[in-house]
Amino acid sequence: MKKICVFFLIVLISCNDRQTIIKIKGSDTEVNLAVNLAEQFHGIKPEYTISVSGGGSGMGIASILKKQADIANSSRPLTEEEKLLFKKMGIELKIFVFAEDATAIIVHENFPVDTIDVPALSKVMSGEYKSWLPVTGKDLPITIYGRQSNSGTHSFIKKKLGIAFSREAKEMNGNAQIMESIKQDESGIGYIGAGYISSETKGVKILRIAERPGTAAVSPLDKSSIKAQRYFFQRPLYQFIPLSSWQKVQTFLQFEKSDEGKAIIQKEGYYIL
Amino acid sequence: MNTRVRERYDAVFKLLFKTTGMLVIAVLGGIFLMLVWNTVAFFIKVSPVDFITGTQWNPSGSQASYGILPLVVSTTLVTIGAMLIAIPLGIGTAAFISEYAGKRLKNFLKPAVEMLAAIPSVAIGFLGIVVVGPGIAALTGQPNGLNALNGAVLLAVMALPTIVTIAEDAINAVPASYREASYGVGANRWQTLVFVTIPAAAPGIIAAIMLGVGRAIGETMTVLMATGNVSAFPKGFFHSVRTITATIAIEMGEVPYQTTHYFALFAIAAVLFLMTLAANLAGEYFVNRFRKYHAA
Repeated sequence: MKKICVFFLIVLISCNDRQTIIKIKGSDTEVNLAVNLAEQFHGIKPEYTISVSGGGSGMGIASILKKQADIANSSRPLTEEEKLLFKKMGIELKIFVFAEDATAIIVHENFPVDTIDVPALSKVMSGEYKSWLPVTGKDLPITIYGRQSNSGTHSFIKKKLGIAFSREAKEMNGNAQIMESIKQDESGIGYIGAGYISSETKGVKILRIAERPGTAAVSPLDKSSIKAQRYFFQRPLYQFIPLSSWQKVQTFLQFEKSDEGKAIIQKEGYYIL
Repeated sequence: MNTRVRERYDAVFKLLFKTTGMLVIAVLGGIFLMLVWNTVAFFIKVSPVDFITGTQWNPSGSQASYGILPLVVSTTLVTIGAMLIAIPLGIGTAAFISEYAGKRLKNFLKPAVEMLAAIPSVAIGFLGIVVVGPGIAALTGQPNGLNALNGAVLLAVMALPTIVTIAEDAINAVPASYREASYGVGANRWQTLVFVTIPAAAPGIIAAIMLGVGRAIGETMTVLMATGNVSAFPKGFFHSVRTITATIAIEMGEVPYQTTHYFALFAIAAVLFLMTLAANLAGEYFVNRFRKYHAA
């Protein structure tokens, strides 16, 4: 297996011969949420068996290409290259947006400031700043904890800041590993999905982001700002479904849109617009 | 009648075992061919000189570059570090088990060391994240411990069982008459070990080391978790590195089929294959020399 990937299989309870199996693959950001949704859904409709696995947005999309999944969770839109591949393979895709995600920029809890503006953050992430001196006034080398290039969050931050990541950036296996590293490293900065943090998260500080120096800084934990689309690092979470599976997954998609589904999505730390 | 039945049985089993044997060779050949095929496809698009001498591995950059040098240096750095730790420890342990330990201790120690090989590499990688890494960071005053040294320590642990087991067999196989002759001229135990037994077992010990190297080069999960995977050119033991295996593991899952990047991963896999093959062939060569030496 390519990486530590969460693999949940909701075992069928009854030997119903009308079992429908839905395979969901993709984004590590969404995997916890998808597992929860799948579990609840299975509780209501036991005739559906849903398997959920992570591996990164790119992995999920590749699985659809290889016809190994019914739903690809993705935290980024398709790239031009992928669109071309789907066209070449003759697979028609349906796109479903089920939640809104925010990415948090985190630092060690002893980090001296609470806010960072986007231009400064770009310079930190691209490696233009080697030391924290211009940002915090403390001469400490910057250590970047990022995700690997197969992560949707990785490409999201990169695109949103319009930079190439510093070649010194560490590539960690997942959100949890970034969190653990930041807790131990006073010089560290990292990015993780908002689903992994809450106001009770200990050991790390969630930076408020200002779009330009001097403008109001917004925290990813502030729900009303996210609803108003004022947080800089927010994005829709996609589910790509090949047309051949579209009929099969309808009931599940309806569940995601129901009040019950929405409650789970919000409880997991995501947002509904 | 009875004989004919038996002969038929023999013929059937001969065919069966021949098939299984051929199948294994076919699998090996198949994998090798696939590696070569995709590597050739890569070299049609990128010149081998750029591949070997390029100092940047950045396939997804706006200007894609496929230089394998930083990856090879990373792998080499971590492997050399691992061997610097594992060789003295391994030979020392092997010598102790074989020459100094009493029978009961020996019966406990040898299986215990071999048990080390049973620990899954993810578990060792996890240890690197939560114990060894922070430990190195605290000892050296670095902000974090996700560096080549961390990977080297963990790989040393993983290569130890191989080294200890084979080196112990080699030391054990030195004929007792060598030691007796040494004691006979007045040498003590230490002198006998260092000047007689270990030199006599040298081919076996070198084989043990080479097989340990092979183990360390090919290990993926542990280095992926513990070394930080920085794509910049490695600067030393206290910097994060990204080995060949980690690069393949990170990039293989998302790369679109039949692209230059896809072929590039096979090309670096081929380089990795050659490196482990060289280490294993050297190991086998010394094992054979050692066997011949003692058979004579």
